Amino acid sequence: MTEKDKRHDGVTVDGLARMLQDGRITRRGFLAGAAGLLGSMAAAEGILARVAGAQTTSKNTLVVGQSSDVSKLDPQMSTTVNDIAITFNLFDNLLTRRRDGKLYPSLATEWKLVNPTTWQFKLRPNVKFHNGDRFTSADVKFSYERSYDANAKVITMSVLNTIERIETPDPLTVVIVTKKPDPLLAARTAFYAGQIMPKDYFAKVKDDEFNAKPIGTGPVKLASWVKDDRIILDANADYWGGKLAVNQIIFRPLPELAARVGALLKGEVDIITKVPPDQMDRIAKAPTTKIEGVLYGGLYCLSVTTQKPPLDSKPFRQAMSLALDRETIVKELWRNQAAVPNSLVVKGDSHHDPTLPPLKYDPNQAKQLLKEANYKGEELTLETPIGFMVMDKEMSEVVTAMWKDVGINAKLEQLEYSVYQQKIREKSFKGVRWTDPTSAYNDPDGMMWRHLAPGGPNAYWFRNPRFDELGNAARYSVDEKFRAEAYKEMARLELEFLPLIPVIQPMELYGLQKYVDWKPYANQTMEFRNFNLKLTRG
Amino acid sequence: MPGFGRFLTYRVVRMLIALWSVVTVVFVVMRLSGDPVPLLLPPDAPIAEMERLRHEMGLDRPIYVQYGVFINQAVQGDFGRSIHFRTSAMTVVWERVPATLELAFASFVCAIVVAIPAGIISAVRRGSLIDDIVMGVALVGQAAPTFYIGIMLILTCSLWLGLFPTSGRGDWRNLVLPAVTLGAFAMASIARITRSAVLEILRADYIRTARAKGLPEFWTLAKHTMRNAAIPIVTIVGLQLGNLLGGAVVTETIFSWPGIGRLAIQSIYNRDYPVVQSCVFMTAAMFVVVNFLVDVAYGVLDPRIRH
Repeated sequence: MTEKDKRHDGVTVDGLARMLQDGRITRRGFLAGAAGLLGSMAAAEGILARVAGAQTTSKNTLVVGQSSDVSKLDPQMSTTVNDIAITFNLFDNLLTRRRDGKLYPSLATEWKLVNPTTWQFKLRPNVKFHNGDRFTSADVKFSYERSYDANAKVITMSVLNTIERIETPDPLTVVIVTKKPDPLLAARTAFYAGQIMPKDYFAKVKDDEFNAKPIGTGPVKLASWVKDDRIILDANADYWGGKLAVNQIIFRPLPELAARVGALLKGEVDIITKVPPDQMDRIAKAPTTKIEGVLYGGLYCLSVTTQKPPLDSKPFRQAMSLALDRETIVKELWRNQAAVPNSLVVKGDSHHDPTLPPLKYDPNQAKQLLKEANYKGEELTLETPIGFMVMDKEMSEVVTAMWKDVGINAKLEQLEYSVYQQKIREKSFKGVRWTDPTSAYNDPDGMMWRHLAPGGPNAYWFRNPRFDELGNAARYSVDEKFRAEAYKEMARLELEFLPLIPVIQPMELYGLQKYVDWKPYANQTMEFRNFNLKLTRG
Repeated sequence: MPGFGRFLTYRVVRMLIALWSVVTVVFVVMRLSGDPVPLLLPPDAPIAEMERLRHEMGLDRPIYVQYGVFINQAVQGDFGRSIHFRTSAMTVVWERVPATLELAFASFVCAIVVAIPAGIISAVRRGSLIDDIVMGVALVGQAAPTFYIGIMLILTCSLWLGLFPTSGRGDWRNLVLPAVTLGAFAMASIARITRSAVLEILRADYIRTARAKGLPEFWTLAKHTMRNAAIPIVTIVGLQLGNLLGGAVVTETIFSWPGIGRLAIQSIYNRDYPVVQSCVFMTAAMFVVVNFLVDVAYGVLDPRIRH
């Protein structure tokens, strides 16, 4: 580190903190302003206008600029966004969840529930791994069993551990027996931990070499990996789903927002991730680039972490929610690149109820409820990391201001990300904290129940017998009608007690060259396949 | 040369003590400042899963036990396995060394080729327009933050003029902007120190004597001034080289340069103790070696220092 670097620690640290956390991060603050210069200067626009013809391409390489580096390519060793963006292309799952949120066949061609605890998958014939090995049911059994094997030291243990045993009656059939009925088993196979690894190759090379030279069945194979610099993936000419529209995909880490936007504007990269809303216009208005967005499959929520006064009072928590002008947050901070949620069951999930109205803003009723709660001005602390979620700092400032407006004595504390994570582990927050629960498997079980069930990451104090009864019943039911009713009632109970206060459902923005026809997925997997990636040729 | 031998031994022992202290301080501070486990798992992973991983990594053992294990392995050259990358920590660091050296030496060469002549000219023409210009530029170079210089260079040289790529490592064109950005500070401080060192010597009696006996100005400068002004210049040049070798977080981040500085900072945020320790060890070792070479250079340049 040079002395000068050290002198700007505050700045650097701020930005770098963001760059690290699994990539869901954007550098805002001062750098956003700096990046702004890149797009807004008239001279730059002039030059860009001259290359406006470049809306077609003869390129055979797609370059993706991600916000952070890749750490691991063993799909069961990492769940971070920048890693899975790559592993979901090196590997295939039995099923895949596409942009429309639905499950499609991938390595499995058919699947069915034989009885409440037994699922049968028919596998695609004539599929080969990158090294030529044939894909069979043994690979599925091996991959799944490793994903929840405590001795394998993987970090995906909680995904497929509802499985009791896996049978392979023939090379193209897999029968999975679960411990209890699991309505989400099919969905689980489409998620991380469900990527199929080659059994024989793995037995030969073991963990470290597999991580360095992963082999899958996916549309690309690893050509080279220079850490922190680039990963080069060659198209798999024999891919069962058809060859990609390019011969090569290169992933580059471009942690600095200004450089990432600059590289896109200059045409050095074709796609960039993690575009904050305030950079959107620059990319959208430049002659050669465009923005694509997708609604995040989850929510930004405030989690009520204690039962200390005043947070022990139900009307007080309701007042906290009613005091939030979510429309303004969406419009002003997010430039309309977010939605106001209506409950903890998010848009895009199974059992989302579109008939519920968006969460209400009513400062007068909030004041009324504060009176009812007998609120005496006790301090309410909101703890926030910086750069953990897009615009968390800005939203925290706005939220505390809105609370102050109705008479809540709100205070804001900023924490470094790893300290924040430690507090999550120790459950040692002072009052309210930010959380961004992802809706795993696009289902309320993977969000509302996972987070608020006993022992869940946001189950700080909230217990309600009816809520628990329904959550448990729906988890082990394969009757979707029953589950729909159960989640409706649970969502209502949640909004009454508010252990989690939903704030917004954000959009995730990507910058693309206009000649690239690809649309992002809500689950951040960046799947590139023959059917969803096209380049406009001149 | 027993005097020089003792001088060397003394310096080597000091080097080892410095390395040990640095690594120990980093060991303690990192462990006190946070836990890597929650950062490895998905944000909403169950607590039991975190405890399992902590145990697996030995992080639930008392800190003195962890330290004992660490020192025992470190003296055998083993800095443990990276928590984040799940591979040997030293390997992770070594992979970044070529990029770090490339950038450091490019910046260093940029800096001295420009700074030393500029400093000398500035001193010799003290008070002139050229002195004002050189010192003005140096002041800006020293005062402007790296991120500002870097982003401005991307804006002007890459986006407007299209001369260089915006970022990444590749051929010499990729090296120019980061090297200038990183070298700016070193350039400025070397130029300023050179100027003041030369100025001071120019006032010395023996320079007046040299001039009085009719020595051409060039030889007065080259032989009498520079040799005597060398000590402070070598010191600052050595310090700057040490700094440059330590990696440059901001520059590496802006230009997506895969060097040690960025790795170190990322590893700090990931609480990847073994990698941080390896980075610090590597950086400290390079710094200490450069300092040692500077010390030896003193001894060569000024025999009085050896005694």
